[in-house]
Amino acid sequence: MKTKNFFYIIILLLAVSGYSCTEQQPERTIVDAEQEVKGHVRAVLTDAPQVPPRITNKSNTKVIVELEVIEKQMRLADGVEYTFWTFGGQVPGKFIRVRQGDLVEFHLHNHPDNMLPHNIDLHAVTGPGGGAEASLIAPGKSAQFSFRALNQGLYVYHCATAPVGMHIANGMYGLILVEPLEGLPPVDHEFYVMQGEFYTSGSYGEKGHQDFDMQKAIDEHPDYVVMNGAVGASSGENAMMVQVGETVRLFMGNGGPNLVSSFHAIGEIFDKVYVEGGSLINHDVQTTLIPAGGSAIVEFKCEVPGTLHLVDHSIFRAFNKGALAQIKVVGDENHNVYTGKEKEEVYLPEGSAIQTISQNKTQKSTKPIAEKSFEERMEAGESLYKQNCMACHMDHGNGIAGTFPPLVNSDFLQARDDKGIGIILNGLQGEITVKGTNYNNIMPAVSLSDDQVASILTYIHNKFENDGGLVKAADVDSWRKQQ
Amino acid sequence: MLIAGENNNKMIRYLGSWILAGLILSGVGLSAQEDMSLIPAGSYTPFIKGITEEVEVEGFLLDKYAVTNADFLEFVKANPDWSPENVKSLFADSGYLTHWPVNYLNDKDLESNMEPVVNVSWFAANAYCKWKGKRLPTLHEWEYAALALPKNDSDSAALTRINSDWYSRKTAVHAKVGSTYENQYGVWDMYGLVWEWVDNFNTVISNEDSRNNEDAPQGLFCGSASLNASDASDYVAFIRFAYRGSLKANYTTRKMGFRCAKTIK
Repeated sequence: MKTKNFFYIIILLLAVSGYSCTEQQPERTIVDAEQEVKGHVRAVLTDAPQVPPRITNKSNTKVIVELEVIEKQMRLADGVEYTFWTFGGQVPGKFIRVRQGDLVEFHLHNHPDNMLPHNIDLHAVTGPGGGAEASLIAPGKSAQFSFRALNQGLYVYHCATAPVGMHIANGMYGLILVEPLEGLPPVDHEFYVMQGEFYTSGSYGEKGHQDFDMQKAIDEHPDYVVMNGAVGASSGENAMMVQVGETVRLFMGNGGPNLVSSFHAIGEIFDKVYVEGGSLINHDVQTTLIPAGGSAIVEFKCEVPGTLHLVDHSIFRAFNKGALAQIKVVGDENHNVYTGKEKEEVYLPEGSAIQTISQNKTQKSTKPIAEKSFEERMEAGESLYKQNCMACHMDHGNGIAGTFPPLVNSDFLQARDDKGIGIILNGLQGEITVKGTNYNNIMPAVSLSDDQVASILTYIHNKFENDGGLVKAADVDSWRKQQ
Repeated sequence: MLIAGENNNKMIRYLGSWILAGLILSGVGLSAQEDMSLIPAGSYTPFIKGITEEVEVEGFLLDKYAVTNADFLEFVKANPDWSPENVKSLFADSGYLTHWPVNYLNDKDLESNMEPVVNVSWFAANAYCKWKGKRLPTLHEWEYAALALPKNDSDSAALTRINSDWYSRKTAVHAKVGSTYENQYGVWDMYGLVWEWVDNFNTVISNEDSRNNEDAPQGLFCGSASLNASDASDYVAFIRFAYRGSLKANYTTRKMGFRCAKTIK
């Protein structure tokens, strides 16, 4: 045993020296499970996007993890509710952080008010089912098992109770980080982001409580692909915040259940990627694949101010299904790195011809729809605006100077006889001038119902300091007929 | 879920069984059992892999309603061994009847409480049914009786809908027996009110790790692989089988009750 320990120490020394001097691939180490464990601590667990503090303990410790399964109704998107099954009350589940060599004493609690049995499979476990066999529990029960964190890496955990796909599809996944013996190098910020998709009875944006749709899940046709459990969970007001010049490490997971993520940060290059969350390090990466039930650790330095969009670059998922999180970088410009003024690199998936963004056909109805009141139009218009317009014209309608024209107090919009109906229905291409600035870009036609177009335009005309007024579905209908 | 032809065949078999059972019933005078419904003999294809053929189920009687708190109070009064104070932990865990008030023996509300009794173990449910001269339904009996559509409803998706509404908590947590739906046998609340114990709840289980199929005993069900299910769309049945797999006979949970059955002699 002594010689074996000595051997590991040599390996460790080699690993540390090799790593810090030349940044070559670090040597792998697998912990000897016979090593002594000293003392015990209670694990700090966090909800996304927060990450527990770095582990400073240098000896093998018993880490006690208490995780509670809670089934609860929460927001999936604006006006859309879903009954999530969670590890710890949020989707994704609590972030767990241990160190290689630690002995993890895991307690899984199934809340007595839950409807269903649950268990947990941690990919960090060496043992049958990753703990699933040992942890199946009825509501009101707790299970305990222990495992030794032998391998370093960033691992997914998830529920593995029948039907497994359904438990994962309802949000039962999270990440456990097993830090290498020497610890991860310090950075200014660490964040936790996890992608997952939802299969709802109604199509994207349909209001009210949505049920799980097994057939869509089997067909792998999700309505929502989201970062951190809901549309907008980590963007806009909930965006992660950093300063120019700071370094960021993202612990990025993909719960699936079905889709593989093409993970990309719009406006940033990953200086370092721990491929698949393991010990292989790649540099200078634009987009890294994250398999369902897999992860990646990415690191980068934020050199210039602006908003970074973290997306699944299977891009319709980002702009049409919700797979987008944001990091806001604040600080001084550095024109040596980037000269544009606040110019964000928004991906415009459409080609050079006018294209149609088609909605689910079932949403279009030939039956006349009763006209809505002004208040109803404003309410419907707000969420429709967010779904269809906000990606380019931005949250407050200011657009992006030089690229996407503003809608706020728009002389261009107010000068049109059609109140803008034609722009939405036909799209717009070529050079225009809005508030003294020239724009030459393409807006695709958006095929929405008369009712939806009326709501969006009523919202734009009133919310963004334009000429006000109520646009009726009948207006849109008569415009269509004139064409 | 079933193709039309199969359904027709089934209907014919059902009708035959009804007539036969009717003869039996009128012969032995069991029709006085107003609190029970006759479930006619028939067959069904279980959800579980390995049982590819239909399973025959003999005709039997099934309680129209789940056992209520009021019913169970009578049982406890008559059988002090099953009171919360006296029950042995071998037969019921610490959750046993914890929703009852401490002074349950003199509680007027409980005497007339028509909500299904929950927080009862399999042992307690089994003892109650025996005391009533009945027994717990078998798994096949229960599943077979639960397959009947709601009265006046021919939409085969109705049951999946009732189940998924229940799982996603759109239906009330506390409801009285007889508040959800009556099926075509006249039995109420098979889905959507509480989970229910069956006699052999642990003979057909999904493994504790629901994906482990190599060691799964012959005929048992592996939960993750929908290929193993006779009908993948019936995912709500997966959940029931998984639920049963998580239980032990002395377990009690806040959403699990039972009803009794009786053999036709």
